[in-house]
Formats: sequence, structure tokens, C-alpha cells
Amino acid sequence: MIKRRTMLKYIVKNRFYYAILFPAFAVVVFLTVYPVVQVVANSFYKYNFLSDERLFIGFKNFSSIISDDIFQTSFVNTIIFSFVGTLLEVGLGFALALLFYGKFFGRRPAMIIVIFPMMVSTMVVCSVWRTLYQFDIGLLNYLLKAAGLGPVGWLNNPHLALFSVILVDIWQWTPFAFIVLQAGLLSIQREVFEAASIDGAGYFRTVFSVTVPILWSQIVLVVLLRTIDTFRVFSKVYALTGGGPGNSTETVSFFIYREGFVYFNLGRASTASMYTLVVIALIAVVYIRQIMKEGDV
Amino acid sequence: MKNRFILSVLVLLLAPVFFVLASPQPEATGPVKLTIAGRDGVYGNAMQYATDEYTKGHPDVTFDVLKLPYNSQYEKVVIDMKSGTGSYDLIMIDDPNAPQFQKAGWLASLDGMLKSKGETLDPDFISAAVKLGRYPYADSGTLYALPHVGNVEMFAYRTDLFDKYGLAKPATWDDVLADAQKLKQMDPNVTPVGFRGVKGNPIVSGFLPIFWAFGANVLENNKATVDSPQALAALQYFLKLKAYAPQAVDTWNSAQVRDALYGGRLAMVTEVWPSWVGDLNNPDKSQVVGKVMVTAHPRETAPSSPVIGAWLLGIPKASKNQSAAFDFLMYVTGKDMQIQLADQFGIAPSRKSAFQDPGLLKKYPWFPGQEAALENARARARTNKWPEIETTFGTYLQLALIGQMSAQDALKTANEKIQEIIQ
Amino acid sequence: MRATSLDRKGPLFWILFLIVLVLVLFPIYWIVVTAFKSPLENISSVPVFFPHGLFLKNFVEVIAGGFFGNLFNTLFVAVFSTLFSLLLSFLAGYALSRHRFPFHFNTVFLVWVLAVKILPPVVLAIPLYTLFVAAHLLNNLGGLIIVYQVYTLPYCIWMLFGFFKALPTEYEQAARIDGASNLGILWHIVLPLMRSGVIATSIFSIIMAWDEFLFALLFLRDPRLQTLPLKIVNFITEYETLWGQLMAIGLLATLPLLLFSGYVYRKMSSGFTMSLK
Repeated sequence: MIKRRTMLKYIVKNRFYYAILFPAFAVVVFLTVYPVVQVVANSFYKYNFLSDERLFIGFKNFSSIISDDIFQTSFVNTIIFSFVGTLLEVGLGFALALLFYGKFFGRRPAMIIVIFPMMVSTMVVCSVWRTLYQFDIGLLNYLLKAAGLGPVGWLNNPHLALFSVILVDIWQWTPFAFIVLQAGLLSIQREVFEAASIDGAGYFRTVFSVTVPILWSQIVLVVLLRTIDTFRVFSKVYALTGGGPGNSTETVSFFIYREGFVYFNLGRASTASMYTLVVIALIAVVYIRQIMKEGDV
Repeated sequence: MKNRFILSVLVLLLAPVFFVLASPQPEATGPVKLTIAGRDGVYGNAMQYATDEYTKGHPDVTFDVLKLPYNSQYEKVVIDMKSGTGSYDLIMIDDPNAPQFQKAGWLASLDGMLKSKGETLDPDFISAAVKLGRYPYADSGTLYALPHVGNVEMFAYRTDLFDKYGLAKPATWDDVLADAQKLKQMDPNVTPVGFRGVKGNPIVSGFLPIFWAFGANVLENNKATVDSPQALAALQYFLKLKAYAPQAVDTWNSAQVRDALYGGRLAMVTEVWPSWVGDLNNPDKSQVVGKVMVTAHPRETAPSSPVIGAWLLGIPKASKNQSAAFDFLMYVTGKDMQIQLADQFGIAPSRKSAFQDPGLLKKYPWFPGQEAALENARARARTNKWPEIETTFGTYLQLALIGQMSAQDALKTANEKIQEIIQ
Repeated sequence: MRATSLDRKGPLFWILFLIVLVLVLFPIYWIVVTAFKSPLENISSVPVFFPHGLFLKNFVEVIAGGFFGNLFNTLFVAVFSTLFSLLLSFLAGYALSRHRFPFHFNTVFLVWVLAVKILPPVVLAIPLYTLFVAAHLLNNLGGLIIVYQVYTLPYCIWMLFGFFKALPTEYEQAARIDGASNLGILWHIVLPLMRSGVIATSIFSIIMAWDEFLFALLFLRDPRLQTLPLKIVNFITEYETLWGQLMAIGLLATLPLLLFSGYVYRKMSSGFTMSLK
């Protein structure tokens, strides 16, 4: 038990840290406490924003949503999207960072090109890919036909549609992993790599035994951030497939959007959000535990 | 150094206040400023034109016209009206959403305003369109909104292809199927038929004319009847028709249908809206100038039932400029402005006199058919649960379309879910 | 990585490099090319690789539609949200990474901030709207900057926290032994070391604010205050997508971001070494 006087002494001693934390803390409190409390509260109500019907129903939302077959499909799709997307984005981003290490002719313009996809407005990205993916007149199928292969139902084949959407996300967001991991790579001193090679380590050995461990916290950070962002994928689904064909590209955030802004069933939308929250919070706690162990705090 | 640091941090933290004050503020202009929550695309251009013209004649009234996509406009308008802040003086309302707004009591009564100005509603308006703005939905209901765009769903076909292969204009849906079969055999370069297959509102909008023409109904006496034998017949027909549509039609939305029609790749389109066809005869945008005829839908066991999808204009009760808004409302739905908007932007009129204007008849030869369609049009079910019903129906329709569910199962499940929704 | 030839690249490298460039570029190429196509070319049955003439009308229409006004609004909001977030999260991230607060506050705060970020904007929008109506912060770019902190602040806190955690504390400890003050350490030692991380974070934060749609839609009413995403979406109308203008505005909207990133990227990728003094 911490006695009050000891605690005060403790705070005063560490007042620097409290002081610099405070501004962010204040803004977060102002902006988020009320909305989050609302969301949590609403999840226990049958609440329609339009008709003002508000009825306390306890856990009924939770049970009805988790047994809703569309929600289940959307949850599975979201997990697939998140897992595959994150894996490929971080893997490719890391590979790109390695590829771009060091100086070479055309490096700077090439780097600008590689990060271009991230800069383009998501709506434009989706529109372009929608055109490229078009079955009859799209560029991709046109090239496939020219190469003598058959056309692919990128967006209209229920088994393929989700991966086509993931591909767009990979195209747009791999640069993110690339930039973060490159920043990490650049802050490693060259001597480290030189030492490794002097010790006789080959390229891949160096990468796995030296680079990856040093960059571990950045890699995990990127994995975490991309997992979260891919979990929330909405605008791509909205623009590319509308959740179809069938329910093959339904995602949780699309489900929530529909409940919240088309039907205005805020109760159900909040409940579905709570499910998302729990999953991500668990992942986040695991991550934080891991990273707080490292280093000395 | 420490003090300077703290000082600069404090200054930066007070930055939000600075942002709020220094942020570019809209200038106050003129005594009356009306804010209109409108739609984008041709509707936005038309509204902008109308407001500009109005300001020329009434310099003390200026406008802020918001041009928003369908969903965004709906979200914004709902949230604003619920909060009662009165941000908007006029709002565009898609007719299926009107019951929600009317039931919630968010709109001002236009009957009241007409009476206070000593006027009555002009009978020139097509009554099927006006009825949508009434609550309850009857000719005697209170008027809460006027039809600004008399959108009615139509059918389009390529006259040049039909002439070439000796086909007559289809009178029934069976004719459509027969024509599609013939076209497929005779012309491999053109896909016989196209429609919207994206689940939800798109597929439902495309399917309803067929559904109704087979005598089926979504709701009857407050019960869901989507699994009736007539509904099954309609859906089975629809699946047969799919064989003559492009392979990717399951993911087609209006942009794809429009581009295919304008690009000359479709012989028939089962669902066109007036705003889609405005540029059909514009050589800068269309490759099928003069080759497309727009007409009312075929019939089947029941008469042709065009789907009405009017855009209404209403005045939120919380608006602080109701009288001025009302004057503009009368102006923009007046005969002159409707003719101008139809001429320049392809906005479908809602007045008989506009449909009969000689200049418009020359530009849009299908106007007589469109007027007839509007007068005989059928509205979608008047319930404030329509978005949920439509989305559910649309999901199962599409599952049947892509073959993941049999037609029978799809309709049965859809019916159960719709019945739950209206409980 | 071969020490002696970290900069010399073999043929395999160039092949991979070229493949990467092609994969990244072909959609970009399509965007650029479409922006210069006429409406007829955009609905053609066969993909048009090279427009038959440079159809500049798309760009003209985009600019005449008030592009620069929207650009200014977006610039204003994105830059200031990012600066504000960076400042707050740099300080907070440092504290969270270097000091263990009582009652597991570090974990609680980080998870809470993350929770806010992961909650779909749909469910947050209405309570925030109510809050901002009460605070009279609606229809105001400054208000938008504040509400954007809901997105940018968690992101920056987490990113910088991660970078701080990866920064070895030896430098700070050495400085402390030398008698430097906390603020001095932060300003003279930590900040330069964190340069890459701060720059990387700033790029993402600006992109996030640049592309944000929902709050801009709901919290702004005056058309003159509209940001770029609101303008871009106008070209994707219900019945037709105005491909040419959409790609044109897409390109124009990307240019400032590209210029900014190119500029700061140079600062970041020049690399640096830091040795314990």
C-alpha cells in the first residue's frame, strides 16, 4: 500500500514525466471519455437514433449479434483480411527496406515512387483498382487475355474477391511498413553490419540473426499498427465490392457502418464495435507487455 | 532555458484556441442566407444553377449549396435534424426515406405555408409524385415536401440493333427474354442485357419492376410476402435473364451499367433512371447517339409498374428561414425552372406542363413515355424500416443471383428476416 | 549485407528493383493516363493506353471547381493537426517509454488511446458531434483540427512510443551523469536521435489527416471550408464516375504530399551516426 505522503513525494520527484505527459492526457480525456462511455453504454440498449426508441436490453445485443450469420462471416473475413494483409505488407515492406539499403543510382527518385501509393487518396485508389479489376474491359484481364490466359473474376468471384481487396490494401500500404522499417534500418550503425560480415556471416544470416533482432520492436510496432488498420478496413470494401458478391467481402466495420449510419441502430453498432475492441485490446496488451519488458524502465 | 522551453510549450498548447479563432470564417453576406443540403452530380449542378438564377432576381438572398453523395447527404441530414440545430433550410429527400423524416416530425408543414401565402398546390404537379411528400401517404395527408426531381425507373433498348435484327419493342418480360436469346445468337459483339447486381439497393431497384410485373409484393397488409409463388416466378425469371447479361454483372453498379450502355456494349438495360440517360445524345460523352430509346417497362402477368424514385425538397422545422426557403422552393419547382433544369441538366420534371414543353420533347423524345410512367408509377413500401428491408432483400437476391442459394431458399430466408424487421 | 559493398549492387538487385517499380507504378500510370483522357476514351471497350491527345479539360474543370480553396483547407488542417499531435505525443511518448507510472498507467493509457483509434468512426461520430455542438466548434477548421486528434494523436503516440522504446537509454544516462537537465536531455540528445522516427510519423499523420472523410463531412457545413476528400468524392456520383476529373484531382491532391514527403525523406534517409560523446 502506498502511503499518500510517499506517493506525493514520488510524484514531485518525477514531476518532469507527469508534466510532459499531461497535455496529451488532457486532450485524450476531453475528446474520448464521453464518446467511449456513450459507446459502451449504448451497447446495452436497443437504440434507434431516428425513432428515438431507447430500451435497456442488457446483453441481448451481444447475443443477437454474435449469432448473426452475416456478422460471423464479416468477422471471419476481417480476420483473414487483417492477417494476410499485415503479413504480406510487413514482409514485403521489410524486403523493400533491405533492397533499398545503401546508396545506389536512382535511389532517391525510386523511393519517392515507392511511397507514392500511400499518398493517393483512398477513393482514387479504389476507383483505379475498380477499373483495373473490371471483368470485361479492365486492364488486368486485357493483359491476361493478351498473354493467352483466361480472364479472372477479380471482384465477382466470391472466392477471389476478398483477396483482390487485400491486394489493393497491400499496394497502398506496404510503403508504410517500408518507411518505418527503413527508418529503423538507417539508425543502425554500419559498423554493426561490417562486424557481422567480418565474423563471416552471409547475407541472409546477417538479416535474421542481426537485423531482425535489432529491429524487433519496430517490426512488432508495424505489425500492430497494420493489424489495427486492416481490422478497420471499410472504404475499400465500400468502394470496390459493397460487401459482395454474396457476403464474401463483408467486414466488421462495414457491418457497423450499415447498422450505425444506414439503419441508425446505434445500439447494435456499438455492440459490434465492442467486439472489435476486445479483440484488438487483447492484441495490444500482449504487445505492450512484450515491449515494456525490453529496455529498462 | 528551462523557462523558455516551458513557455514555448505552453504557447503551443494554447494553439487550439488560436486555430479556432484564426480559422477562415465564412463571410456574412446579405440579409438572408439559405443553406441547402443537396446531392452531387447533375443534381448539384442543377441546384447551383437554380440558386444562382434566384439570387439574380432576389439579390438579398444568397445560398450555400452542399453537394453530397447519397449516403453522406443522408447521414448529415439525419444527424443535423436530430440535433435540432437548424443548419439547413432546405433538404433533398429520397422518397423511401421520407416516411422516417415525416414520422419523426422533423419537417415543416407545407400546407400551412401555402395557406399563409393564400395559395393552393398547383394541380400541374403529377399527383403520384406529390403523394410521396404527404404524411400519411394518401391524397389527404399533410404535405411536407414537394417533388423536385420526378425520377421514375425506365427501360432502355438499342433501336438500331432491334431494327437490324427485326425485333419489336418488348411488351412483356417474356419478350425481353426471347429478344435476348435472339440477340445472343445473332450478334456476339453486344451483350443482350445489363442490370445492377450489387447487393442491397442496386439489385433491389433493378429487380422491382420485374417483381411487380409478376404480381409479387414486398409487403402486403403489414406482412412480408417475399416468398409468394409470384415472387418465386419473378426470381426464377431473373435468374434466367442473367444468362444473357455480362459475367461480372454481380458486381455491377450504376457506373458500370451506364458506361456499358454509353459505350455501346449493351442491347437492353432493364433499369435506367432519367439522370443516367441525359447525355445519351451528346456526342462528347456517348457512342450511341440517337440509337437508344427509353420507355416504360414491359408487363407480365401484372401491368407495367415503373418504380418511382423522386427526390423531394423539404424544409426542416428547425430552419430559421422558413419563409424565404419556401419562396425558393416554389421557384425551383416552378414550371420555368423545371423546364430549364430538364433542358440543361437532364433533371426529370414533376409537372405535366414541363413534360409537354416542345423544346424538351425534341431533346428527349421519350418524355411522353416518361410522363405516363410517372403518372402510373408505384412507390416502394411506405415504412420507416425500408432501408433494412431493402438491404436484407438485396442480400438474398444477390445470393440467389450468384448461385450460392437456391431461389426458393433465398426468398424464404429473406421473408423470415423481413418479417422480423417489421415486428 | 556485405560490408565492403553495401553500396555496390549486383544484377539480381536491379531485376528486383525493376519489378518493384513496375508493380508500384502501373496503377499510377493508369491514374495519370486517365486524367488526360476524354470521357469517350474512358468508356471504351478496349483499354486505352495512350490518350489520343492531351485532354486538359479535366484539369481545367477541377481547378475551376475551387481546387485551390479546398487544397488550402486541407493543408491548414493536416499540417496543424500533425504539428499539434507531434508535439503532444513526443512529450507523452517519451514519458511513457522512460517512466513506469503507478497503477499500470502506461498500459492503461496506451490501450485506451488505441481503443479510441480502433473504434469505428461511425460510433464515435455522433457523441463527438453532440460534444462539438455544445462547444460551438462545428463548421470551423480549428474544430476539425481538434477532432482530428482522435485519429492522429493515438497514431503518433504509438509510433513515437515504439521509436522511443527502440532508442537505447545509454545516451540519456551518460548525459544525466554529466549533469544535464531533463529538458536539456530531451532537446539536445533525444530529439536529434529521434529524427527519423519523428519524420516517419509526421508523414503518416499528415496523410491520415489529408485523407480523412467522415469528420470533415459531418463537422463542416460551409462549402468554402470543404477539404479535398469531400471534393474528390463529388466526382464519384451515383450514376457515373467522372473518371477524367477524378484522376485529375487525385493527382493534384497527391502532389503536395509527394513534395512534402520527398523533402523530409531526404532529411531522414541521409542517415547519420551518433556516437557517445
